[in-house]
Amino acid sequence: MSLFLIAALPFIGAVFPALLIRAGRNAASLSTGAVTLLALVGLLVHAPAVLRGEVVTSRFDWLPDLGLNANFQLDGLGLLFATLILGIGLLIITYARFYLSREDPMGQFYSYLLMFQGAMVGIVLSDNILLLLIFWELTSLSSFLLIGYWKHLPEGRQGARMALTVTGAGGLSMIAGMLILGHIAGSYDLSVILQHKELIQASPLYAPALILILLGCFTKSAQFPFHFWLPHAMAAPTPVSAYLHSATMVKAGLFLMARMWPVLSGTDLWFYIVGSIGLITMVLGAVIALFKDDLKALLAFSTVSHLGLITMLLGFGTEAAAVAAVFHIINHATFKAALFMNAGIVDHETHTRDIKLLGGLRHLMPVTFTLAGIAALSMAGIPPFNGFLSKEMMLEAAAHTDWAGVAWLVPALAVFGALFSVAYSLRYIAHVFLGKKRHDYPSHPHDPGPGLWLPPAVLVTLVVLIGLFPNAIATPLVTAAATAVTGHEVHFHPALWHGLTPALYMSIVAVLGGLLLLALHRGALAVWNNLPRPEAKVIFDALVRGLTQASRGITDGLHNGSLTRYAVIFLIFTMGLGWYAFSTGAFGPETHETLPITAMPLLGWFCLVGSSLCVVAFHHNRLLSLVLIGVTGLMVSLSFSYLSAPDLALTQISVEVVTIILLLLALNFLPQETPRESSPARRIRDIAISVTAGLGMGGLIYAMMTRDFAMPSISEYHLANSYKGGGGTNVVNVILVDFRGFDTFGEITVLGIAAIIIFAITEATLGSRVRARLLNRKPWKPLAGDAHPLMMVVATRMMMPIAFMVAAYIFFRGHNLPGGGFIAGLIAAIAVIMQYMASGFGWAAERQKLPYHGIIGTGVLVAAVTGMGAWFNGLPFLTSAFGYVHLPFLEEFELATAALFDLGVFLAVWGAVLLALQSLSRYAWQPGIASEHPMDINPERDDAEIEQEGH
Amino acid sequence: MSQIFEYLIAAALVLGGIFGLVGSFGLVKLNDPMSRLHAPTKATTLGVGGVLIASMIHAIASEGHLSWHELLITLFLFLTAPITANFIAKAHIHRHETPQSLPPAGEDGLWATHDVPASPEAAPTAPLARD
Repeated sequence: MSLFLIAALPFIGAVFPALLIRAGRNAASLSTGAVTLLALVGLLVHAPAVLRGEVVTSRFDWLPDLGLNANFQLDGLGLLFATLILGIGLLIITYARFYLSREDPMGQFYSYLLMFQGAMVGIVLSDNILLLLIFWELTSLSSFLLIGYWKHLPEGRQGARMALTVTGAGGLSMIAGMLILGHIAGSYDLSVILQHKELIQASPLYAPALILILLGCFTKSAQFPFHFWLPHAMAAPTPVSAYLHSATMVKAGLFLMARMWPVLSGTDLWFYIVGSIGLITMVLGAVIALFKDDLKALLAFSTVSHLGLITMLLGFGTEAAAVAAVFHIINHATFKAALFMNAGIVDHETHTRDIKLLGGLRHLMPVTFTLAGIAALSMAGIPPFNGFLSKEMMLEAAAHTDWAGVAWLVPALAVFGALFSVAYSLRYIAHVFLGKKRHDYPSHPHDPGPGLWLPPAVLVTLVVLIGLFPNAIATPLVTAAATAVTGHEVHFHPALWHGLTPALYMSIVAVLGGLLLLALHRGALAVWNNLPRPEAKVIFDALVRGLTQASRGITDGLHNGSLTRYAVIFLIFTMGLGWYAFSTGAFGPETHETLPITAMPLLGWFCLVGSSLCVVAFHHNRLLSLVLIGVTGLMVSLSFSYLSAPDLALTQISVEVVTIILLLLALNFLPQETPRESSPARRIRDIAISVTAGLGMGGLIYAMMTRDFAMPSISEYHLANSYKGGGGTNVVNVILVDFRGFDTFGEITVLGIAAIIIFAITEATLGSRVRARLLNRKPWKPLAGDAHPLMMVVATRMMMPIAFMVAAYIFFRGHNLPGGGFIAGLIAAIAVIMQYMASGFGWAAERQKLPYHGIIGTGVLVAAVTGMGAWFNGLPFLTSAFGYVHLPFLEEFELATAALFDLGVFLAVWGAVLLALQSLSRYAWQPGIASEHPMDINPERDDAEIEQEGH
Repeated sequence: MSQIFEYLIAAALVLGGIFGLVGSFGLVKLNDPMSRLHAPTKATTLGVGGVLIASMIHAIASEGHLSWHELLITLFLFLTAPITANFIAKAHIHRHETPQSLPPAGEDGLWATHDVPASPEAAPTAPLARD
């Protein structure tokens, strides 16, 4: 199976459980399992070749300009991880089917799980670090959904947020690190980067890149000091914990360190950062785990400890340590997933995870006890289980490691950690299953059905088999993976008996010490409880609160809602830039003659300036200022018309009409007067700034228009190519639908989104308490009768077809003469708005059958499909085509795809304007406001009849 | 262009100008709003009409074809001017007149502008209640 398909299958499959949950929980879980099994089979088909040492690749240039290629490769390491992810995934899916209760939305669970699985498989198969980053972020997001799956639990939500914050922040720093790495190596392909060890390690950017990447790895793999998120993520359902925190998500950081091992390891920096952090995490996690009473918390900290162990081994930088790390990844995944599922069984059956309430379960749950016993002994590193083998290798590697000249430090701490590890592992057996049977369990525990114990049993079988026959079962995979990690052939021959090595003595010390510690657990706990220790969640919460406050402070300082302030900042900044440009730049001589001033433009100028000044003077009366703004708008469109810009004039006048109507509607809900808020000093400041800015702008425009441009303008190109290339003589329209078609496409999309947001805000507002206030609103002045006057109604009815015809006319002539989809859309909108104004919104809306959302969507789609049409001609998106058609009885006419695109613009504009208007109108709704008749006076009424009824 | 057309155009323009002036003067001169409403009607109908007629004659005379734009403008003026006047009158009645200060409305009892529905529930849709 192609590697693309293996990575894509879980994502595609995520649809099935979400849909099939309607057919029952079995259908959902079976479909999920089938998808995973299919991907696993597809993967294992490649296994023989990979184990022989070949590398399977699938390559596809996705965005080659960015260096982002969808390249996948499968080598030993990838195979190891992908097998773990999909294999354990399959067991978890089975387990979850029986673990989740009837109330839990199982379809969602499986969808999230598959998305997460896909993201993980993507990480381990990526051969491009940018692609890897995408999958990396996807794991953070999907694990957020999984950890917070029990939305009703505050711990679940907080844990999910914490995990997302920590791993997300790490992911961001990793993006930076990866970009630096790619910059050094000159390629973002892993296979290329891995060949440039010397180049990368010699680069001065090596240290920042390393630290940034390690931050990503450490946060993901819960290394000290970021280990705290993992125990809090235990609020998730147990299948999630078992999956994310034993085999997959937390191993992603380890995977990346292993993947980058050939190029990043081997330096002192690597050793001291990775080795030390791993060591600290291992010891710290093991110590805390012993003192946790919650089963899952114990396992969580033990996971932290084991992750630290693997990190430490990778940090040592030696080949033997790397092999041990790879081996331990497999072993840890098997026994830890089994233990998590086991803890889930105990929780499920006894309804508690508190060790203090448990004990003696061996008698009641023999199967569970057997599985837990074997897995925990393996975790403790007791022969003949697989944990023993890798722990021996770890101790062996630690024994040969010299930390800054202190030879005993690493071995001693490793033994110390192992000692605690033995203690907490045995505690899991002793305090939960051994001891006397109790009679005060919160429930009546008994062994669960096979659905719950079979998945951990499969893993426990592996634990035993790998322990007994490591060479037969684990060697090929470990060899292939370790070869991929180290970059050259390794030989791996684990054995239970190595002879009397230092590691064996260390192991014996650890086991004996661990037994002793467990015996003294009560005393040790008292000591531990009296130790002052920082609470990670408190620190994290304080940090997050501080950051939130800081960002709120900055945001509120800059965005305090005062439009004046924004305008002042913007104007002063712009004027500063302008002044800088003016004082440093050269200033050419005046080359253009100014036109003589005649009477008409002078009159227009007075109207324009006068109305603008009047707006300033009378802006406290909002209705009056709206009228004055209307005058300004009309004068502007007249000036456009006078200055030979008919397109602009048409646009301006239609935009003006629509805007004024919308503003009038909004004014209905606003105070009629703007209160005086500014002090005289502030007003003088504002006047000074705005007058300076206005004069500066005017001066700039005057200077530009009286001179030749410093560089050739693009207009000549447009003028020359409009007809030749775009098939239209209206340059403005050809620019809109052809030259800058992609811009227009973006703009209509944004316009549509804006209208839909207005609709959404209205919907949300009307769903809130505001609705009651709107309904109880008292008009600010007495209402007049005859809201829908007969004359107006009749006239608008007459005007409607005319207006639509004008819109059609403007639309069709647009390509060659002033007009186009935008203006036509506005005119068509005005045609409908007139009906609203005359007969009332309710009456008109009832007769308007098309939903405006649909019109907007159709518009954007029509534009998009037209643009895509170019692909069939092998041309880029939105390339327009045109031709001339001759039909009998008609003049020759032109057909252009640009017109179809323009149709999209037309529909989007029309729909957006009307949706915005409709949303605003809904605020005014009152019961009974919708009229039954188009006008208040029913011309059909029979006066005589009414007269009779009245008497 | 023959002399006669020029005279015709000039006459139409002067006529339009006079009516425009009269309309504007009336707007300033007349005292009460309802009377004032009459003045601009002269400007919109005969005043603009004169100019439009001049424009049509000019099109026929100098360009040799009949221009329809002017007729459309006339149509739109005839459509919009009465409605505007109607609305101004309604606004005036609403804000400055009471049912007592107006002449009787005949069989309907109240002028429509004063016939405010009692509450939103008493829909304005029902045939107007009387008595």
